[in-house]
Order: sequence, then C-alpha cells, then structure tokens
Amino acid sequence: MIDPIIVVANIIDGILMGLLYALVALGLSLIFGLMDIINFAHGDFVMISAYLAWIVAINFMVDPSVTALITVPLFFVIGLAIYKVIIEPILGAEPLIQIAVTVGLGFVLQNIALAMFHAEPRSYPAPALNFGINIGPITLVAAKLVAAAVSLVSLFLIHYMLTKTKFGLAIRATSANRMVAPLMGINVGKVYAVVFGLGIALTALGAALYMTWGQVDPYLGASFSLLSWVIVAMGGLGGVVGVLASGLIVGVLEALGSTFITPSARMAVVYLAFFLLLWFRPRGLFARR
Amino acid sequence: MAGRELRRYFATLTILTVALALVPFVLGFNQYYILLAATSLIFAVFVVAWNIIGGYAGQLDLAPIAYVGIGGIVAAQLLKYYGITPWIGMFVGAGASMLLAAAIGYPTFRFGIKEVWYALLTASLVVILNNIAHLPQFLGSLDHYLPARTGWYYLIFSDYQNLYYVILAVLVVTIVINLKISNSKTGYYLRAIREDELAAEALGVDVRKYKLKALMTYAGIMGFTGYLYIVLQGTYSYHTFDSPTSLTIAIMGIIGGLGSIAGAFTSAIFLKTVEEYLRSTIGATIPGLYLLIYGILLIVVGIFKPEGITALFNWAKKKIGFDRRGA
Repeated sequence: MIDPIIVVANIIDGILMGLLYALVALGLSLIFGLMDIINFAHGDFVMISAYLAWIVAINFMVDPSVTALITVPLFFVIGLAIYKVIIEPILGAEPLIQIAVTVGLGFVLQNIALAMFHAEPRSYPAPALNFGINIGPITLVAAKLVAAAVSLVSLFLIHYMLTKTKFGLAIRATSANRMVAPLMGINVGKVYAVVFGLGIALTALGAALYMTWGQVDPYLGASFSLLSWVIVAMGGLGGVVGVLASGLIVGVLEALGSTFITPSARMAVVYLAFFLLLWFRPRGLFARR
Repeated sequence: MAGRELRRYFATLTILTVALALVPFVLGFNQYYILLAATSLIFAVFVVAWNIIGGYAGQLDLAPIAYVGIGGIVAAQLLKYYGITPWIGMFVGAGASMLLAAAIGYPTFRFGIKEVWYALLTASLVVILNNIAHLPQFLGSLDHYLPARTGWYYLIFSDYQNLYYVILAVLVVTIVINLKISNSKTGYYLRAIREDELAAEALGVDVRKYKLKALMTYAGIMGFTGYLYIVLQGTYSYHTFDSPTSLTIAIMGIIGGLGSIAGAFTSAIFLKTVEEYLRSTIGATIPGLYLLIYGILLIVVGIFKPEGITALFNWAKKKIGFDRRGA
C-alpha cells in the first residue's frame, strides 16, 4: 500500500512542476494561437537555454535562477532572429512543411548541444535553493517552490499584458483576424516577431528556473516540446488561464503515474490522457473558439 | 496511368533489383560493408512504406518505429519462447502491427484528428510504447537477445549477405505494393485526400476508410520487416521504440519528396549511407553530426524546395529529355 503522505507530497510536487510546464507552454500557445506556426522545436529552446544557464552559473558562480537576467533578454533577441530567418518564410505554409522545418531546427539545436556538451547530463553543483522545507510531514524542495512562484507571477504578468495593455490588444486583434488587424493600424509583422521573441524568452526563463534543481542533456528538449503541445491541446487556445489549468493537470497526471505505476512510465500516463483528450475533446478542455 | 508507362516502371525496378543484388559482390563480401548496405536497404523499406501514409495520404505519421517494434518484438518473442520460425512470426508480427494501427487509426480518423495533432498523437505513441515496454511485466529494462542459432529457419545467419538478400526481396515487394497503390483507385483517392480532404469527401470519397487502409498497409509492411530490423540490431528492448529513429524515417520521406517512390528510395539510401560514413569516421569526436545535417537539409528543403529530391529528378529528366510527356 502506498503511504498517503507520499501521494500528497507527489501531487504537490506535480502542481509545482505543472506551473513551470505552463510557463514554457504559454510561449508555444501564444505563437500557435497568433500566427498558426507549428513549432516542434519549442522544447529545444528550453534545452539550449538550460545549457546556457548552466555555463553562466558555473563561470560566474551564481545560482542558475539569477542567470535568467542574461538568458531571457538574449533569447528574446535569438527568437527575433529565428523568426526572421526561419519562421517568416514558412508563415501560411502547409502544416507538414512547418513541422518539417521546425523538426529540422530542433535536430540542429539538439546536435549542436550533443557536439558541444556530449550526452552526459549536466547540473549546477551547488544551487543555493536546494534545501527542503518541512510542512508537517511533507518536505518540499525550496527551488521548486521558487520556480513555481516565479512562473505564477510571470503567467499573471503575461495575462495582464494580454488583457490590459494596448500591445496585448494588438495581439488579440491579430489572432482574431489577421486580415482586418492591419487595416486598424496594427503592424502585424512586428506583432508576430515580438510574440515569437517573447515565446522563446519564456522558454529561457523556464530553463533558468528548472536548472536550480534539474539537469540538462541534449534530449531534454524533446520531452518539453511534446509536453508543451499536450498542454496547448488541452488548453485549446483558451488564453493564459487555459494554459495554466492544463499545465497543472499535466503536472499532477505525471506525478500520479510516477507514484502509482513507476517513474519510468509517468509519461505514458500523460500521453494516454492526451490520446483520450484528442479523441473526445479535440477543441481542448477550455476552448474559447 | 498507361500500361506502357507501368511497364517502364517495372523495367526500371528489374534493373534496380539486379543492380542491388550485385552490391555484395562489388563490396567483395566484406561483412562490415554488407551490414551497412543491409542497414541502408532496410531503411529504404521503411521510407518507401512510409510513403504510403505520409506521401500518398499526406498524414504526417511520426510512429514508424512503433509498428516496426511491435511486429519485430512479437516475431522475436515467438521464436525465443515458442520456437516458432520467423517465417510465420513475421506474418503474426505484421498482423499485430496492423491491429495496433487499426486500434489507433479508427478513432483517430473517426474524430478527424489531422495535421499537427496527428503528428503529435503518433509521436506520443512511440513514447507510450517505450514506457509500457519498459515495465517489468513486459520487456523490463534488460536487453533481449535472439537465440544463438543460425540458419534459414531462424533467418539468422553467420554472414550478412543472406540477410541482405532477404531485405532486398522485402524492398522489391514494398516497391511493387507502392506502385500498385499509386496506380489504383485507392492511390487517386489518397492523393485527393492529401490535396483537399473536404473536397474529396464532398466528391464521395470515404476519407476515413481510405486513410485507415493506407495506415494499415504501411503498418503491416513495417511490422513484417520488424524482425529483420531486430536481427540487424542484434538485440531488442524498450530502446527499440526510439523516438529519434522514428523521426528519422519520416524525415527521410519528406526530404525524398512526398508521394515519390524514387525520391523515398534515393533519400533513404543516400542519407543512411552518409550517416554510417560520418558515424564511422568522425562519429567519436562529433557525435550526431549526421542528425545536424538532416536538420539543415530539412530546413532548406522545407523553405526552398518542398518537393524534395523529386524536384532534382524532374529537373534532370527535363535536362536529358527523358520525360516524354513534355513537362
């Protein structure tokens, strides 16, 4: 029989992870919802920026979470460049071409990492936040708590930006109708570029937070990509709230699979749920349109 | 398609078969080179079979290794535990893969899952099978070996040329199946579905039925070939359900050009040979260089030449005036 305290602890852990997943998936959801670009390389940006966070943290002896101050702006610029060179030519192309090109981009990123760092997992040796906090019988890792809190605040800020600012209005208007938006004086090209940069910058933030306790190898991206897409499918383009709720569901499902079956089968539980979701709720759980 | 043209295709296929049959002689029966040639050839089978679902039907299936793995593992386990010859086991494996394809494909096509969602669904199928096979009730975390016997009964040989010829036979059958589909009503229906699913449905094409037919044909070939793949690999385990390998097969199909048998064949042979060459020369210092090249090729093909290698063929045909239809 499984100890109920362990179950509760794992579920809380799943919730904390879910918030981080939501943060990473939000970028993907914004990009897909706005410009219909199918990005299969999304998770690989998490992987590359996790390596970058690791390098900066090792060389300057700072906690990986602090490296976000450098990696997030840098990845915003990288996102803009990738948009110009690779994404802009395939805007409006058929899905298969978009998938092919972004899978290609993912392969390039993955194997650059493999060539530079080889396959051994890397982690920061002395993270400042890697201590436990006891709440009754349950021990939580401080780093995960901080990551979850920062993710939640970032999600709120993006939600605020989307709903309350003029630029957010431009994003929503463009995603509602990209033919009419330019007639209203919105520079669609600029909105696309900035949102793509923002989406990639969010992966860098997620990666910096993840590196406070996690480890990175060249294949980390593949699992983040697939997970982000599962969250987007569940969220059904329902804005920040949909992504947040789906992220939490995925995190908890993963924790339950890990607790009740085995840790190595945890992804099977998430993806089986994804199958059922696609079959029975193809528009997602929180569909808005 | 006119009968004359079909005859020309079969003439080309005969020449190709003879040429491929001579390869072990050209390689001087060097076992290592024949192993590499057999590996390239088996990937040609996979990519040509993938062409049915990916090229004709236009469904971006990222789960080829799921069907290869199921079929291969079923045949291998039958041989290992019940002593059943793979000559029977491979058909059982093919049946198992087709069953899996039907179980996945029926609801998926019934609920109209397509494009990116189909790609994601199939990509996650590989991870699910990997996780399930990893459970102790199934294959566990150990490597499994085929019985240490040799002979035609086991399809395991002490040298590689026999295996090479078996794979060549499978490849020829796969190409013939492709040609048959391409020139049949099914082929035209599938291409109509690929170009515009709604229009095809409006014209009375049973979209679900033909997509499922394409998926099951492809899964059957994959499952049948699975045992040979395991013989080439030497072992099988949950690692057989390997996502990058699965993606690679689909990528070779895209680079070859969707719906082109010649493109699929050429891209598989060419890319796999380059891959093995790079792996044996600089693989130790720069691992994964070939995947980097695949990535760059994919981006370039996607942005500039969505028709893939086929575009190269058509250009060459026009140059040498081979294409008498006057393109």
